[in-house]
Amino acid sequence: MTASHSPDRIELTREIIPDAAIAREVRADEDGAVATFDGCVRNHSHGRSTLYLEYEAYESMALAKMREIAESVHDRFAINRVAIIHRLGRLEIGETSVFIAVSAAHRAAAFDACRYAIDTLKKTVPIWKKEFFADGAVWADGEIPPSPAAAETPAAKPASN
Amino acid sequence: MFVKVLYFGRLKEITGSSEESVEVRDGERIEELFARCSSSRPELRKFRSSLVAARNRELAAWDATLSGGDEVGFLPPVSGG
Repeated sequence: MTASHSPDRIELTREIIPDAAIAREVRADEDGAVATFDGCVRNHSHGRSTLYLEYEAYESMALAKMREIAESVHDRFAINRVAIIHRLGRLEIGETSVFIAVSAAHRAAAFDACRYAIDTLKKTVPIWKKEFFADGAVWADGEIPPSPAAAETPAAKPASN
Repeated sequence: MFVKVLYFGRLKEITGSSEESVEVRDGERIEELFARCSSSRPELRKFRSSLVAARNRELAAWDATLSGGDEVGFLPPVSGG
């Protein structure tokens, strides 16, 4: 593990995500590939027409989990930099809700890391999406994050902070 | 002692607030805190099986014990992305 990944960019934002700028930012002279994932707002969900979405987050924990994903990406793949940006608030059809960019010397690591990052984000980061339709709104079906097994005894397992 | 309890998503809509300060007894477990918080809001209990708990921004077991000043979040299934 390298000592620092300071060029990584991990953010929650209520503004439009500057995807092109971020994709350029992660690239350095030693890189031969940048893989990006652009998650955008679809105009339909389960056969219904979506009007818009609202995202909310447990912001401090979400940022911590997103930083953990970045660290994990560095540990698992031969990549250079990673950016993970998620938008919150109201999003219109076609807007980007999450943007991930990974730079690497070679494409396989960039693709694999990008896929790992979005898959892990969807399973572990405390962000919630509400879908608004013409005739109502629902919280999207989500994934239950894997939580720690019950402690054998209260004293046996110290706090994991 | 008091802990801070945070509600998100549909839970926040049930409670009508995103956070509250709750008095708990020393050594209380997260499961007992949830029972305390849902005692006056039966609607919350229906979601218990799909929730995970976080203590101080880390996922925690339901039988983890609480300390004064802890921040506890009850998290519905996540749907970011």
